Amino acid sequence: MPSLPSLRGPRAPPLPLLLLCLLAPVRRSSEDGRTPAASFTSLPVREEMMAKYSNLSLESHNISLTEHSNMPVEKNITLERPSNIELTCQFMTSGDLNSVNVTWKKGDELLENNYVINATGSILYTQYMFTIVNSEQMGSYSCFFEEKKEQRGTFNFKVPELHEKKKPLITYVGDSVVLMCKCQDCFPLNWTWYRSNGSVQVPVGVPMNNKYVINGKNANETRLKIMQLSEEDQGSYWCHAIFQLGESEEHIELVVLSYWVPLKAFLGIAVEVVLLVAIILLFEMYTQKKKKHSDDGKEFEQIEQLKSDDSNGIENNAPRHRKNESVGQ
Amino acid sequence: MALRAEPPDGGWGWMVVLSAFFQSALVFGVLRSFGVFFVEFVAAFEEPAARVSWIASIGIAVQQFGSPVGSALSTEFGPRPVVMAGGILAALGMLLAAFATSLTHLYLSIGLLSGSGWALTFTPTLACLSRYFSRRRSLATGLALTGVGLSSFAFAPLFQWLLSQYAWRGALLLVSALSLHLVACGALLRPLSLAEDPVVGGPGAQLANLLHHGPFLRYTVALTLINTGYFIPYVHLVAHLRDLDWDPLPAAFLLSVAAISDPVGRVASGWLGDAVPGPVARLLMLWTTLTGVILALYPGAQAPTALVALTVAYGFTSGALTPVAFSVLPELVGTGKIYCGLGLVQMVESIGGLLGAPLSGYLRDVTGTYTASFVVAGAFLLAGSGVLITLPHFFCLSAPTSKPQDPVTEALDTKVPLPREGLGED
Repeated sequence: MPSLPSLRGPRAPPLPLLLLCLLAPVRRSSEDGRTPAASFTSLPVREEMMAKYSNLSLESHNISLTEHSNMPVEKNITLERPSNIELTCQFMTSGDLNSVNVTWKKGDELLENNYVINATGSILYTQYMFTIVNSEQMGSYSCFFEEKKEQRGTFNFKVPELHEKKKPLITYVGDSVVLMCKCQDCFPLNWTWYRSNGSVQVPVGVPMNNKYVINGKNANETRLKIMQLSEEDQGSYWCHAIFQLGESEEHIELVVLSYWVPLKAFLGIAVEVVLLVAIILLFEMYTQKKKKHSDDGKEFEQIEQLKSDDSNGIENNAPRHRKNESVGQ
Repeated sequence: MALRAEPPDGGWGWMVVLSAFFQSALVFGVLRSFGVFFVEFVAAFEEPAARVSWIASIGIAVQQFGSPVGSALSTEFGPRPVVMAGGILAALGMLLAAFATSLTHLYLSIGLLSGSGWALTFTPTLACLSRYFSRRRSLATGLALTGVGLSSFAFAPLFQWLLSQYAWRGALLLVSALSLHLVACGALLRPLSLAEDPVVGGPGAQLANLLHHGPFLRYTVALTLINTGYFIPYVHLVAHLRDLDWDPLPAAFLLSVAAISDPVGRVASGWLGDAVPGPVARLLMLWTTLTGVILALYPGAQAPTALVALTVAYGFTSGALTPVAFSVLPELVGTGKIYCGLGLVQMVESIGGLLGAPLSGYLRDVTGTYTASFVVAGAFLLAGSGVLITLPHFFCLSAPTSKPQDPVTEALDTKVPLPREGLGED
């Protein structure tokens, strides 16, 4: 099918193609890299914008849709610093390409310029070029293809997230602790720390004093050192990574215990051990006493026996005595 | 306490087994599970891993080299006061460690203080156990030593939970409380007077006597060789498996498999040691040779099933050789000198243990694989079992009595008066 000479959608003032080739920034290959095969008949971009931001890098992203796509296709893009953006949506349908209505929206707001539409074969391409320099320009950009059903592709722009799920930090009164936030592959312009009581976040460490020290070894991490901990320091702490295009935050929970908490458990167990030792030793003394009593009892019986023999002897003493005497003599 | 001619082989002896079980758990289980604290110390003191590992190494070294001291004191004062004092020292070390502000502080409190405490507990207890049993000595020792394996299972998750609740300071405080139970275990060690005791004399005389005792020295050499090879798989198995492209989780799991077959081996060997007539040294040689052969087979095994089978077998045979290793000693030197004998053996064999793992690591660095390490470990074990053949009465059919082989002592025996009733406590 030949390329359509007429385009659907509003047109910006056309520029000579040659001028555009001279001013076009260097294209960087992106992850999903394919630029459309067919050339565009015109690229309506503002010349001033191109000149001003020609030193920024280019991000190209691509979404493919078909007429049978059931769910809207989304792409999450992490953006750290201002960049030129090139978003391309392609739509494959077996129907008539002319009857497809193409629109771009940022959030719910309809976008008027800076996009082109082209077609090759049975694929409809649309490309939106713009620049992101501040946080208001971040958000979701969507391309819509409306045929019988509306097909939608969304590009979500976000600043890098600090995603480390942290367990609560447990510390003791009088100790010092280091809270650390790290960003994997990103380099924030600045870091700030807050603590929250309920929903209000209060800055922390801004006048650096004996209690709070903020530093970081590299640009991608920050450390908040809190000294002389007390129970009031317990609570939620937030580190904010500040980028040109927005902020990202992470939550750390700090628990401050007094030494008494584990000490109670320690003393309880120590008492238990003392009791065990006492029981064991008393039991041993008891069994030995019993044994001695039974030994003594045997001896007692023996003595009793001897005594009774003796007493028997006393009764017969006289005769024995006499016997002895008789023996003695 | 009446003067006994023979070990009671039961009765209160089973309480001593219980005490020894908990003591092996509290000494070696704690040592083996200490790796859980390792990560916390590295983060808390911001020191490299090598320096933090010294804590455990110092503790183990002090425990082993201090064994003769524990033994000598037990000969003099009986095991009970020595073990109870050791328990207090071990707990005190952990308690002081909870307030540590530097790594040196931990070296001294856990390494030196707790290590000394452990030295005063483990060896005297095992020696005491050998005095309480003669016919069932191996079984009793095997049962007691299962405490090591089972506690490693229980303590690692327990310590992890303590860390998550109380952080490392509070967790150390509670481990100290746990170690206090060593004192209770010590209380269970009722003193026992055996017929040979008045004859063999004080610790100094015993030590001198032992150092001239040929079979004892040969036995010590054999155990040192065995110890050099014994620990290699526990230290390097996981790394060897990783070299063979195993994932970390299945590799660690395989080590737990060995940890399960280990206590099974101990009890089985203990029972066998008592059931089979003849000197126990022969069984020790059997298990040692088997373990050596298994270690030598490791490099040849590539398939997972072969490795699993070898590891199960290794766990069983290496566990099996421990109770009989302890049972050979009373047969050699008699129950009278058992404390000093065991102390000396522990000290000397620990040299093997300390050298074995670094040697294996060095061989790995030089040759690139663990093949040489495993083969050398197996060779050490086979050499040790070879030395065992030279022990006296090795080829006899009947069991020797637990009386010593020393002719001097035998002569003195004839002069020992008959057991007297009511002689009193030691």
